[in-house]
Amino acid sequence: MSNLGEHILVVEDDTQIRNFICYSLHSEGYQYLTANTGQGAMNSLVSEQIDLMLLDLGLPDFDGIEVIKKVREWSEMPIIIVSARDQDKEKAAALDLGADDYLTKPFSATELLARIRVALRHLYKQGGNKQQTSIQVGNLKIELDKRLVFLNDTEIHTTPMEYSLLTLLFKNAGKVLTTGYIIKEIWGVGYGKDTQALRALMAGLRRKIEKSPAKPRYIMTEIGVGYRLVDE
Amino acid sequence: MTTQLNKKALNGLFYSLLMIVLLFMASSIGFLFRMIGFPETNIVIVYLLAVLLTASRTKGYIYGILASVIATFAFNYFFTEPYYTFAVSDPSYIVTFIIMTITALITSTLTSHVKKSAVEAQEKEAETKALYMLTNHLTDAAEIHNIAGIAASIISTVMNCKAACLCFDENGLPEKTFVQQISPEKQIRRNVANTEDIKHQIEGLRTGYSIGTEFYDWLIYGRDNILGIIRIPTDKAIIMTEAQTRLLRAMIESIALAMDRFRSAEQRIKYREETVQERYRGNLLRAISHDLRTPLSGIMGTSEMLMDMSKQNDPRYKLAEEIHNDANWLHSLVENILSLTRLQEGRLTLNKQLEAVEEIVGGAVHHIIQRSPQHEIIIDIPDELLLVPMDAKLIEQVLINLLDNAIKHTPSGNEISIFVIKDDKTHCAVFTVADRGEGIAETDLPNIFQMFYTSHTKHADAQHGIGLGLAICDAIVKAHGGNIEAHNHSDGQGAKFIFTLPMEVTENE
Repeated sequence: MSNLGEHILVVEDDTQIRNFICYSLHSEGYQYLTANTGQGAMNSLVSEQIDLMLLDLGLPDFDGIEVIKKVREWSEMPIIIVSARDQDKEKAAALDLGADDYLTKPFSATELLARIRVALRHLYKQGGNKQQTSIQVGNLKIELDKRLVFLNDTEIHTTPMEYSLLTLLFKNAGKVLTTGYIIKEIWGVGYGKDTQALRALMAGLRRKIEKSPAKPRYIMTEIGVGYRLVDE
Repeated sequence: MTTQLNKKALNGLFYSLLMIVLLFMASSIGFLFRMIGFPETNIVIVYLLAVLLTASRTKGYIYGILASVIATFAFNYFFTEPYYTFAVSDPSYIVTFIIMTITALITSTLTSHVKKSAVEAQEKEAETKALYMLTNHLTDAAEIHNIAGIAASIISTVMNCKAACLCFDENGLPEKTFVQQISPEKQIRRNVANTEDIKHQIEGLRTGYSIGTEFYDWLIYGRDNILGIIRIPTDKAIIMTEAQTRLLRAMIESIALAMDRFRSAEQRIKYREETVQERYRGNLLRAISHDLRTPLSGIMGTSEMLMDMSKQNDPRYKLAEEIHNDANWLHSLVENILSLTRLQEGRLTLNKQLEAVEEIVGGAVHHIIQRSPQHEIIIDIPDELLLVPMDAKLIEQVLINLLDNAIKHTPSGNEISIFVIKDDKTHCAVFTVADRGEGIAETDLPNIFQMFYTSHTKHADAQHGIGLGLAICDAIVKAHGGNIEAHNHSDGQGAKFIFTLPMEVTENE
């Protein structure tokens, strides 16, 4: 796969993991910069042209979440978090603050590169067609102007709630959305943290668009974090 | 028994003799007075004095009363006309007799009563003193056997016998030895002839003490169980008075309190030590695991990188792949240890929410398929949405561990399935992970969920695994209030693991 030699900033304090990431990026033709502290990351971010950032949440000087907060003040660049397995809370917080995706250590090069590809594509889509009238993923298509959903070119009837959930996921295709974020977007801020209604809504939607709800093709569950619409 | 009777009879004889002597002396003085020519009233007073002396020198009311009656009759017989008969010529003497008898009776009973009260007061004082002495000494005791020694010593002094004390251990069972006071300065440790016997004796005991051949055994009851027994030698026990028994019971109460206090203090210290140790161990394990994770991720990534750099038929590819597999295995071990320590620290880490079963199962299967794409996993879950309260991450881990286990023991191509049903009778969701692999050896079935248990039917190095995966499944499911079981298929080969999760959200969580 060819790419445009995007500049990727790798913020990771462990040398071995950093080397491994950089090698993988290099083999795919990406340009990369490295930083092993939060401060170093900030320095690179202000002085260089960066297209995407890979950010380890456990940095020696300050919390990775702080880096996200600062970056989001001026930039919409894709941020992929690298975290340990038991950092669910931090993960969710980072995603809610605007991180696009996460990788749990240990991860494979294939996984890493796939995530980067998705995030970059998302970036270009955002930049290009704001006025799009339909979105398609696989055989699933939404016609936004007519509020219609098609699977294999046959129309699927969805409730208004299901439709708004699906469009929310489509507009953020490839990106992990936390349950908290989805609830806030669909039910409003005052709804609280009860996930039960979302689970039920999701189950209903999956029964309409997935062949087997436990082996989803489109909407993946990120257990303990949220949902993601598969973008490839 | 006979000695006691003899002693009583001897006492009776002595008191009777004393009474007779005193009355005889009064009569003699009476004759003397009559010879001198004193009026008869003086003789009455002398008799009254004799009655008073009898009552004060004897025990109980009986001798005093007897003396008053005899004194009246003696006065009548010897000193009223006609002499040496019980007949009375002057009717006014009848009044004298009656008043004399009444006066004598009152005097004697009063005297006896005073005496009795004095004795009681003395006993009470002794009792208080003994109890004080006991509690005073008991407060110094630093150890349960110390308490036993003090108890034996004080009881021996108070009861004037060779008392002994046998302690019971924490489980409420008699110890093998007991301490006995054999002289005021010396205590010895003796072996219990038969602890089973003692256990047997105290079971179903109603009287508070049991009768043995050498000792009468009084039980020391603690708050929760029996703490020990006080043994009073049989020869002393049978002649114990009411007051002594009372005192003994009071002393046993004090001993029980002291032992109880000691036991609970001991328990507290033990618990505290255990929690500190547990926490220390947990922290250590977690720190180690945490520090292992990052380098393991590095090793896995780097070995993957090496695989990427070499061709598949290059021997270096194989070597790198092995490094990768081992690191992967080590990593899952580290994750398991982390989960286990977190679980053992208490239920607080359970983050229970209503979760859709299909999502959890889907997540686990997705995870497994990524790692072992050559296996086909069949999923069968109810069509209706099943929401079960659970900690999603932990139950996902249970499923991943079970599926991982199934894959390890099933040749690729054989069926692995996962199905969930809702059991309305028990209000549980029932998860089953079944495989058509080699199954579980009968000898392994009972121990399969034990920590660090590995099958003995294989070579030690044949397959990785130190038996943590299933132990974690067990711990997680139990923390959710569920149950996990392992079976072999009744039809054909293969194993199945079944676990349940309660559907209701429990009140306290």
